[in-house]
Amino acid sequence: MTRPGFVLEVDERTPPLLVHRGEGFGVQRFPLGTRVVYPPDSLPALPDVRGSIRHAIMNPLGSEPLPELLRPGMRLTIAFDDISLPLPPMNPPDVRQLVLEEVLELAARRGVEDVELLVANSLHRRMTGKEIEAVVGERVFRSFWPESLRNFDAEDPGGLTYIGQTDKGEDVEISRRAAESDLLVYVNINLVAMDGGHKSVPVGLGSYRSLRHHHNVNTMLHSRSYMDPPSSALHGSAARMGRLLADHLRIFTIETTLNNETFPREFGFLNRREWEWSLRDQAGYLAAKKANDAAPGRIRREVFRRIRAPYGVTGVHAGETEAVHEQTLANVHRQQKVEVSGQSDIMVVGLPYICPYNVNSIMNPILVMCLGLGYFFNMYVGRPLVRPGGALILCHPVPWEFHTVHHPSYVDFFEEVLAETTDPSQIESKFEEQYATDPWYVHLYRNSHAYHGVHPFYMWYWGAHALDHLGDVIFVGGDRRAVRRMGFRAASTFADALEMARERVGSSPTITYLHSPPLALAEVR
Amino acid sequence: MPALLDEVREVARGWRWGRRPLVPRSAEPFAPPPEPREFPTEWARTPAGRVARAAIQRFVLRPLVWSETAPRVHGLDHLEGLRGPVVFVSNHSSHLDAPLVLCSLPERWRRRTAVGAAADYFFDVWWRAAGTALVFNAFPVERSVGRRLSDTPWRLLQEGWSIVVFPEGTRSRDGWVGRFRPGAARLCIGAGVPAVPVAIRGSFAAMPRGRGWPMPGRYPVAVRYGPPLFPESDETAGSFMRRLSDAVARLWDEDRGDWWSAQVRAARGTTPPPAGPEGPRWLRVWEATRPLPRRRTRPRVWS
Repeated sequence: MTRPGFVLEVDERTPPLLVHRGEGFGVQRFPLGTRVVYPPDSLPALPDVRGSIRHAIMNPLGSEPLPELLRPGMRLTIAFDDISLPLPPMNPPDVRQLVLEEVLELAARRGVEDVELLVANSLHRRMTGKEIEAVVGERVFRSFWPESLRNFDAEDPGGLTYIGQTDKGEDVEISRRAAESDLLVYVNINLVAMDGGHKSVPVGLGSYRSLRHHHNVNTMLHSRSYMDPPSSALHGSAARMGRLLADHLRIFTIETTLNNETFPREFGFLNRREWEWSLRDQAGYLAAKKANDAAPGRIRREVFRRIRAPYGVTGVHAGETEAVHEQTLANVHRQQKVEVSGQSDIMVVGLPYICPYNVNSIMNPILVMCLGLGYFFNMYVGRPLVRPGGALILCHPVPWEFHTVHHPSYVDFFEEVLAETTDPSQIESKFEEQYATDPWYVHLYRNSHAYHGVHPFYMWYWGAHALDHLGDVIFVGGDRRAVRRMGFRAASTFADALEMARERVGSSPTITYLHSPPLALAEVR
Repeated sequence: MPALLDEVREVARGWRWGRRPLVPRSAEPFAPPPEPREFPTEWARTPAGRVARAAIQRFVLRPLVWSETAPRVHGLDHLEGLRGPVVFVSNHSSHLDAPLVLCSLPERWRRRTAVGAAADYFFDVWWRAAGTALVFNAFPVERSVGRRLSDTPWRLLQEGWSIVVFPEGTRSRDGWVGRFRPGAARLCIGAGVPAVPVAIRGSFAAMPRGRGWPMPGRYPVAVRYGPPLFPESDETAGSFMRRLSDAVARLWDEDRGDWWSAQVRAARGTTPPPAGPEGPRWLRVWEATRPLPRRRTRPRVWS
């Protein structure tokens, strides 16, 4: 029986607790009485993943079995999540590879010849061939790359189809290949509750024209949180689009969920609760920390990039999108949900080295902001872990560093836009259109490996709810210039950050530390 | 290098190197059951271990205990003519109890006697486990409910080792005798060996829970051995355990008064239970920490 997540109250018996700090980590003593949210232990993995995939597609929810949907002469498109999932990338074989192989095996047996595979990268950067091969496996890659296995291009004028408008006037425009297929199979990895469902096709294969209806400040301010789809305006919009799409296109969704085995054995201590660290874990921590601290920046980054998570698959569901996603969400909640009683004055998060948008890349300051104020702040159901007007303390060095190939528009956003204002609404109204339609950014997105010109805006909007909710944001150990540029404050030490936060929230604050990753979703009552 | 040392110190302090690891209180309900792994103690019963132990007990442990307390040992005559192995069954209220029993035994018994010690207390860190195993010839006993009983005591009895068992399972919190668990009785019945009841009085006053060293002033302690009890055929563990408990109570009564009166009260079934006086906890502790008289008061023969 897997142990549930729980809230630790720091007492004199509590050892220092592990805190992620970007491409580094350390242990930190917390004040007595601090609440620490720990995720449930890792759920047991399915013993036979291929068997479970077969079972799911032969016994789908709200749909005929997949073989009955396949016939000779049909047009089949299979889309799958891009490199932003899972985090860190998983040990081979990637579960998407296993699903794709099963689906393709069926298609081959049923005489389907017109098959195309699409990376549902939306406005994310194009994946390289090597990255795609790591996801789909050698056999699929060799069979389909590059003619019939490609990245989706959201700026290809001839590659998009306008489907129509939802009842709320939202434009729906997706990949022409997908829209004109007899069947679209979507294969996902549902790492967090935000992923999957109707967010997969309308977003993953959608264009800027379509995405702007939900990737905007107003929607983000009304997504409380976007990790809780029923309370998320983002998901509401995506669902309307998804239902409209379902009227035009047959979609067969295959969703998978993973357990919390986030770090490999060498970093096993990162997966364990600190007071349960064995002597080996303690020695491993000391050795890894010292080696990491002493290594040059490039080596350190390379070591982190090579981390592959030994994730186990906890569920595979297939069929009609909404029916499937209900089961998927239940699985995600089973792995990540932790009940927390009440909000606190201060929330603390140690930010890890990776977020969805810097795989094989660099976590620039905007991505740090997005990870902290976007993803981790929103890891709640009900109410945020921190009260309105409270303080958020984030541990990360926030280096002023950008990947110029992957994030060209981020550089300009940081230098030009944030130098003028950090207010999401102002940024949206004044700058978004210009960046989204800039021909140079469009060219880099289509032909290089750059994120779309509008992507840094979305990252900033991702934190809009937190910016609106919080009274103070303090980065421990952050580059002062970079932090100041984003409108936040930097502290040298955790103790200093607490002192600074006390100025805002009072002298005896309640503190909650979200101990993550492995991921925890706080259900705050 | 200084930074590395600081971090090692931080980890050493945070994870209590060399001391018992602690679980934060709010995490206790979620603590995983400890892994069923028994600290190996066979090495302590090798010839080298025996020689080292005999020297430690004779030249260190006994002089130490006998100099810090004033033990009075009675009833060793019950061991004469008795062939081991046996199970010594004693009440337990102090860390002094095991050394008192071991060091009060005649040499021929002492060198073939092992002691059952709480695994979660004496075998929690390697150095304490190794020290306990060597000095007391101890083997770990699991006290948690639901844990499988180790086969070590059975094996030791089969190999001819006598063992000392404290069937209360833990030291008394107020100095008085608690309920005996049936494990020791089950062991005797299973292995077909007799049990020798032992009553220890005064050790709580001499070194109560929480103290790491005996009280100053050489408190008197009494160790009283009773006649061996043999399990009867078809006797249940519960029944044998009750007989053992009664025997310890009689020894306790005998030590408080005299042998004859204790016999009379036993025959009448009026042996006072050694569970201490009724009343609040402080009163029971107060009475239990009252030192034994320095010398036994005897009725004067000549007035």
